[in-house]
Amino acid sequence: MGTITSKTVPTVQAEREAAIEAVGLCKSFKTPVVAQGRFSGIRSLFSREHTTKEAVRDIGFTVEKGDFVGYIGPNGAGKSTTIKMLTGILHPSSGSVKLAGVDPHRDRLRCASRLGVVFGQRSQLWWDLPVKDSYDILAHMYGVEDRDKSKRLDEFAELLDLDEFWDTPVRKLSLGQRMRADIAAAMLHDPELLFLDEPTIGLDVNAKRNIRGFLKVLNEEFGKTILLTTHDMDDIEQLCRRVMVIGGGRLTYDGTVAGLRREIGLPTEIKVTYRAGYVLPRQGGDLIIAGDRQTGAHVQPNQESDRHAADSSFAMRIVSQTESTLTVEVNRQDVRTMDVLRELGQLGEIEDVEMREPDFEEIIRRAYG
Amino acid sequence: MNERRAVDRRTALRNYIKLYLILIRTSVRSRMQYRFNFAFGTLLAAIIQLSEFLMIAIVLAKFGAVRGWTMHEVGYLFAVMTLAKTLYRTFGNEVHNLERYLVEGELDQLLTKPLPILLSLLPRGFRIMFGEVIQGGIILAWSLGQMLHSGQVSWWAVPQTLFAIVTGGVVLFAIGMATATCGFWTTRISMLQNMTEDAAQTAARYPLTLYPGWMSGLLLTAIPVGLVGYVPALYILRGELGLWVFPVLAAASCLAVLLALRFWKFGISKYQSTGS
Repeated sequence: MGTITSKTVPTVQAEREAAIEAVGLCKSFKTPVVAQGRFSGIRSLFSREHTTKEAVRDIGFTVEKGDFVGYIGPNGAGKSTTIKMLTGILHPSSGSVKLAGVDPHRDRLRCASRLGVVFGQRSQLWWDLPVKDSYDILAHMYGVEDRDKSKRLDEFAELLDLDEFWDTPVRKLSLGQRMRADIAAAMLHDPELLFLDEPTIGLDVNAKRNIRGFLKVLNEEFGKTILLTTHDMDDIEQLCRRVMVIGGGRLTYDGTVAGLRREIGLPTEIKVTYRAGYVLPRQGGDLIIAGDRQTGAHVQPNQESDRHAADSSFAMRIVSQTESTLTVEVNRQDVRTMDVLRELGQLGEIEDVEMREPDFEEIIRRAYG
Repeated sequence: MNERRAVDRRTALRNYIKLYLILIRTSVRSRMQYRFNFAFGTLLAAIIQLSEFLMIAIVLAKFGAVRGWTMHEVGYLFAVMTLAKTLYRTFGNEVHNLERYLVEGELDQLLTKPLPILLSLLPRGFRIMFGEVIQGGIILAWSLGQMLHSGQVSWWAVPQTLFAIVTGGVVLFAIGMATATCGFWTTRISMLQNMTEDAAQTAARYPLTLYPGWMSGLLLTAIPVGLVGYVPALYILRGELGLWVFPVLAAASCLAVLLALRFWKFGISKYQSTGS
């Protein structure tokens, strides 16, 4: 009996393994200090001085099977370093990674065969050979049967329009074509987990749409777990269920896209031009506090009004002001525009109103801090 | 269990060999995309090699012999070194080019493949070096031919020399790999390569007796290029040492590669990649 349970337990665990499990990941790079002055070349060769740069500090997260995660952050925040640690390219200075229960550093070969990796800036295809030859070589590398290979390639060709450049040497492909070919290459061995490092970088709108469509199919229909980094916020909005934001080597946010919007708040800028100037209430600072005095005075025939009526005090932050214009920022999750305009209307006679909705880029910029 | 693992390992090995051949074919096909470049490069290599030897030949012809080594013997050293180096550069050239992978971060791609890194790396640099083979072959045939003629060596020298070329190629590969591994810390390795590869190989084209003791010692141990031509020549051409030279050469070249591999594995874990 004992032997049976001990044999079944691991398989059950394997079923439940998270697709990615990162614990306390740190990576620091040592760069030798380049000496100045005489014989600097020789001196820096023997010098043991170096600066240590902590690229990633204590990052931990778990990605479940079938998740679609966006990993974003400004340049140099540690995105690529994290991806490289997850895929087994870089060894973490401390911490550990498990991909479906396997450590990509101890067991790189086993992990690599279950993993698809696409670097937007680099191709894994053979530069001088026709696209289809690269697939033949990769199929050998990953031990993909001929039957499976042609079946998958047929599917990919349809979804990614590979046919148009099937026989073209990779070096002659356009960036969009190359990226499509590269993503198909990463999926040829049917990995459960796909890492994409800036897959849409430098692509035109059509190519981006094509690739997003393909990734969506992979995730939704084939249940692949996908983690991508990007600077294109449309990628995040259209594809990802979950976002992780990294800044200065630390995770600063980890949650849903909607949650990120909520957390950062959606400040809408409203610029009001007054006909004959305005008088700011003496409240100090750059805030205009709208008090409870309006409660009940602006009951609107809409369902949300109750909520607002119950707590109608809100604050507007003044972004800039001139003699005749006033620009304020409000969070439209908390307050309705009509209430804001009514409040601003009390400061003077309004001539014109301009509104600027913040886009997702702006939210991210704030999330980056 | 052990039996199954052995079978697994055997299939894995067979797959690796098959894959190695496929990757080499790929590499040759890629190179053939630029036929003119290939033909021109081959021709150029032959001319450069020949002019290098002519320089030595002029010196030898003028002074006759180097520290008791005849012109034919020095020619032999030169040819064995050339052929061993050609062997190394034919199969292991990408180790020599590692700097490019480190500086441009190209090693990333290879590390994501389910293959030992050397298996993905080495076939990429595979090339057929006709120029060097022809040049080295001619000089070897000439010097050995003269010595056969004069009765200095017997026909046994031919298989023995081929053996020395193979172990020599392995030794040079090990030196190249160990040097390249330093790149995982320093990124740039071309200066180091100048010393451990180019300068050392050039030095070992002459009898090591030419150099001060510490240096010939260095060239036999730390950077064992002396094992490529000099040590085998002592026995094959001059009857010094003994037949034990060959097992020692085999063992030394294996040891050198194993040590270099160890170092390489350690180096890979220090790979820093590049920003993107």
